[in-house]
Amino acid sequence: MPAAISVTGLVKRYGDHAVVDGLDLEVQQGEVFAFLGKNGAGKTTTTEILEGYRTRDGGDVSVLGEDPATAGAAWRAKLGIVLQESRPLGALTVNETLRLFAAYFPNPHTVADVIRLVGLEEQANQRAGRLSGGQVRRLDVGIALIGRPELVFLDEPTTGFDPEARRQFWDVISGLRDLGTTVFLTTHYMDEAQVLADRVAVLRDGKIAALGTPAELQALRGDVEIRFALPHGVELAALPALSTQPRLTGGEVRVETTAPTADLAVLCSWAEARGLELPALTVERPTLEDVFLAISGETA
Amino acid sequence: MNMLVEQVRADLLAFSRRPETLFFTVFLPVIFLVLFEAIFGGQSVTLAGGDVVAQSYLQVPAFMVMGVISASFVALSITVVNRRETGIFKRVRGTPAPAWLLIAGQVVTSLVIALLMVIVMLALGSFAYGVRVDIGHLPWLVASVLVGAIAFSCLGMMLAALTPSTEAAPPLANVVVLPLYFISGVFVPIESLPTWLGNIAALLPVAPFVKVATWAYVPATTTPWRALGLLIAWGMVGLIIASWRFRWTPRRS
Repeated sequence: MPAAISVTGLVKRYGDHAVVDGLDLEVQQGEVFAFLGKNGAGKTTTTEILEGYRTRDGGDVSVLGEDPATAGAAWRAKLGIVLQESRPLGALTVNETLRLFAAYFPNPHTVADVIRLVGLEEQANQRAGRLSGGQVRRLDVGIALIGRPELVFLDEPTTGFDPEARRQFWDVISGLRDLGTTVFLTTHYMDEAQVLADRVAVLRDGKIAALGTPAELQALRGDVEIRFALPHGVELAALPALSTQPRLTGGEVRVETTAPTADLAVLCSWAEARGLELPALTVERPTLEDVFLAISGETA
Repeated sequence: MNMLVEQVRADLLAFSRRPETLFFTVFLPVIFLVLFEAIFGGQSVTLAGGDVVAQSYLQVPAFMVMGVISASFVALSITVVNRRETGIFKRVRGTPAPAWLLIAGQVVTSLVIALLMVIVMLALGSFAYGVRVDIGHLPWLVASVLVGAIAFSCLGMMLAALTPSTEAAPPLANVVVLPLYFISGVFVPIESLPTWLGNIAALLPVAPFVKVATWAYVPATTTPWRALGLLIAWGMVGLIIASWRFRWTPRRS
């Protein structure tokens, strides 16, 4: 089965600055693919090149077997797009909005089916301008689904949602996976990627910095962090030799280690021998969020 | 074709649900006509050809023109800027819908509203103010209104293309159009202007439209070929600048 999206060496420059700088990417059909990165990493630029909204300065791009820069209406009929900033027309109801968009596509779903899919049955005759933020976003997804797309782009769909609305939204996306639709999701929420995505790519400075299943990404930093407050009158240099060099930040000692048991044993017997207590001693596995922050270059 | 019907249906629905545009486009010209008739309705005027007609014969087509310009130029430019800046156009450009559909939807919508304005004004003119239109002249009236509405739709597209933001759209459209109403024979007869001002106004798009509409309405005057040509020329200017500067995506991105 050919890939739904295939990108090699993608480059996009604004002036001298390369926003996307040699990006390689492959998304399989039927996959839910999450595209992560902090603001300004090139997520939206890349997504809009894949959607055919922006031109590129270099590299090869194939989306559903065609180059988005030259693909026509028949190609767009196979896509569903949820833009980051777009809002539906406030004066039209949910029903009317979906009916209009259905007219744009050759073989659309029925309006009623889509309304059920995105869970807006009770709001069907409400104007879009009177929906809540989460409901508007679900209508947005409904618009993207009305044409029976093979591939759906969602650009930061849950930004500004409350937790309840995000969970409802995730249910809608899970429903898409069951339909066999390929989903390309950009987000800066790691938990969203963890819940929804088959694979995750982390973007940094216009390149893919890490790629894999959520579990694989988490394993990238298999190390555990031992933390404690530095006891009174003890210098960092006075600590016993550990498997890695400890760091001191704001009076707190951090030891990122792949051998936590051995290091803890050394630390504890050292402290006990001197009658010291290690205040606020904790041992933690990094969360996927920590992994993402480390890879994407954001400071925790 | 079905696509266009759905598009116009949705655009008309959206238009009818925005009370502020509905008021300024449909009701304001009607209110103006009623007020002007109350004030000047009894007077009569001498046309350039020497015929003497009731003032109403000039006022009804003048405010009809105002209604058509409100629908095609003012409302259209505001709506187009709004759709562009809220990302609605961009969104539709990501579907298989062709680009012309969005333009056609807007233009046909404004034509429908313009024709509605003509009907309202004709009815008011003949029932309330006793201005009868020769049935034989009705096709000319409809044709001249359509030419004017299309020309002003092109100018509306031009204005939309040059308008930077949603907030700027209503004041810009009105700043352009209100002074033109004053100097083009809508509020004040063009004959009562200083000659130099009248000469300038005659070259701008509103005065030729008023002239053409008045001709189609009042059978006595001679065919205003020059005004018709000017109106079409302005439409072409609008179309050229609009297609040169038009964009589908918000300005801020």
